[in-house]
Order: sequence, then C-alpha cells, then structure tokens
Amino acid sequence: MYPLTIRLVGVLALAAMLTACASTEVRSYLARGADLHSYRTYNWQPMEPRSTGDPRLDNNPFFEKRVQAAVDKELAGRGFEKTASPHFFVHYHASFTQEMQISPSEHGVACEECRPEVYDEGTLLIDLVDARTGLLAWRGWAKGSVDGVVDNQEWMERRIDEAVARIMREFPSGL
Amino acid sequence: MRPVLQLTAALLSALALTSCAARMTVSSHVERGLDLSRYHTFDWGPADALPTGDPRLDRDPFFKDRVQGAVEKGLIARGFRLPDTGLPHLLIHYHAHVSKRIDVNRIDQVNGYGYCSQPGCPSDVVEYEAGTLVLDIVETETNRLVWRGWAQNSVGDMLEDRDVMAKTIDQAVERMLLRLPSTH
Repeated sequence: MYPLTIRLVGVLALAAMLTACASTEVRSYLARGADLHSYRTYNWQPMEPRSTGDPRLDNNPFFEKRVQAAVDKELAGRGFEKTASPHFFVHYHASFTQEMQISPSEHGVACEECRPEVYDEGTLLIDLVDARTGLLAWRGWAKGSVDGVVDNQEWMERRIDEAVARIMREFPSGL
Repeated sequence: MRPVLQLTAALLSALALTSCAARMTVSSHVERGLDLSRYHTFDWGPADALPTGDPRLDRDPFFKDRVQGAVEKGLIARGFRLPDTGLPHLLIHYHAHVSKRIDVNRIDQVNGYGYCSQPGCPSDVVEYEAGTLVLDIVETETNRLVWRGWAQNSVGDMLEDRDVMAKTIDQAVERMLLRLPSTH
C-alpha cells in the first residue's frame, strides 16, 4: 500500500479529474427572427409548479428567490426594466439528476482502467418569451456537477449567481 | 508503513465506504437573520399531496405518526408549544421522498474494503433506495417558509423493519432540529 500522502494525492487527482469531466457547460439558443435588441422591459412569468427532481429544492424559496434575484440583477445591469406590461417574460427551470460517468473519457482514448463515477448534475435553464407573440425568443442554460452544493446554502447561492451570470453572458453581443 | 498510518488509512477507508450509502446526511436552508425566539406556538399545516415516490410510505400511518411525534417532541423540548386556541405562530409540514440512486465503491483488493486509488481496483456498483425527509417551518402570519431542514439516507432496511424505521426517523428529526437557529 502506498503511503497516505501518495494516496491523498491520488484522491485529489481523481477529484480534480472528476471536476474537469463534469465542469459547467453553458449554452444558448436564439430563435430565428428574434431580436433581443428591440426589448427594453420584462417581467416574470408565473412559475409552473414542476418538480426539480430534488426534494430539497422543490418549492424551496431560498433557491427560487436567489435565482430570480440573480436574473433581475443581470437584466438590470444590461438596462432592462421590470414593468407591468413588458416586452418579454422571463422564466426559469431547474432540474437535478444523478449522472454516471465512465472516466477517463475526456481524451477520447480507450482506457484500461475505466472507472465509473457518479455525481449529481444540475441544469438551470432561463427562457425569454416574447410577450406579444408568446413565442420563445431566447433560451440559455448551464449544466454541471452540483455534488454537495445544495447542502451548503452559501455555496448554493454562489453557484446560482455564477451560473446565472454565465448564462446571461450568452446574450447576443451589445446586450 | 507505520501502524498509525495504516490505522488512519483503514479508518479513512471505512469512513469512505460508510459515507457512500449508509451514512445519514443532514442539512438546512434558513432565512437570513431568522430569530425563532419570536415564535411560541406551532401546529401542523395541511399535508402536502406530493407522492413520496414509494408506495410503502404513501399513507403509511406508522411513518406519519412517528415523524409527527418526533417533531412535536423535539419542538416542545425547545420551548415551543401547541396552541390552546387560535392560530399558531408557526406551521410545520414535512415531505418524504424515495428514489433509486447508484453508488460506486472502489474495492481495495488488499484489505477487501474501502476506497482505493491504486490501479487495478475493481469497482463495486450498487443501487440503493435514497430517502429524503424534508421538514418545513412556515410563518403563519405571512405564509412564508423561514426554515427547511432535511435528512437523507439509504432507506432499504428502514422500509422493511419498523424498529429501524422508528430509530431512523427519531435520529433524522433530532439531527435536523439541532440545526435550528437560536430558539428559546
């Protein structure tokens, strides 16, 4: 058996590798013909009560209010104003699942010591819906490992702020 | 290797193994600056209609009574009481949820157990039933959730043995309530 320090380094390396495999992925989609530059005002669309897949976060205002506050802050920073009859509605959806990863797969090579790893994956999705047409104008989402995050309120809040900021950076340039 | 290191490694391995499926984890979310000493009375809010995800727990009176009993006992021990008349200051409700989860342990071939970072260790993939018990505390006046606690554990044994269920519930509730901010 290796000395403890070597084992520890091994564990840390494994953790780093896992984190690398499961790092946050951010993507977005702009609907054909949608012009976010024409929007000035927004409001929240009433939330549909859908399960997040994690009982700790279903109907959890500590989670929901943090997401809304983060989105409000990012939109205000881009000059959007919250009004009663807005140009667009915003809503979000969060979902959580357990994922399994057979690593190392990131290098795309066959591995002799493939080992399965499990982690909790969270997806936060933000939709902008045109208020006049009711059609989806823009959708952005972030997906990544959230192991241990929900159990730590401060960490969860930081991850929400970070995810929302990164999603909103996907806005068309000039916004 | 020095014996003390060996022992530490063995303990770490045991801990890693235990932590995977069998150890109860408890945590909570709280409203910033919550002062529970402002409140004196509590009662049960309307039960939620969400399914637990397991038919063995849905409408199980033993489970329900044990959870409610443990919560009442824990809150009364902390200076809260059920109201004689009128509305309580706080409404309590809970939700239980069971889902299947996967756990992966790498088996150390040398000693047969524990987490292994060396090459060539086989992986032991197990599916288990993960249970979550969520406890909510709502301020009656504003209908605002001020605190949520939860406990998560592997519940396969518990669902098949009433004694284990009773003990697990008592432990889960007591550990959740320990996380309450300042009470009376």
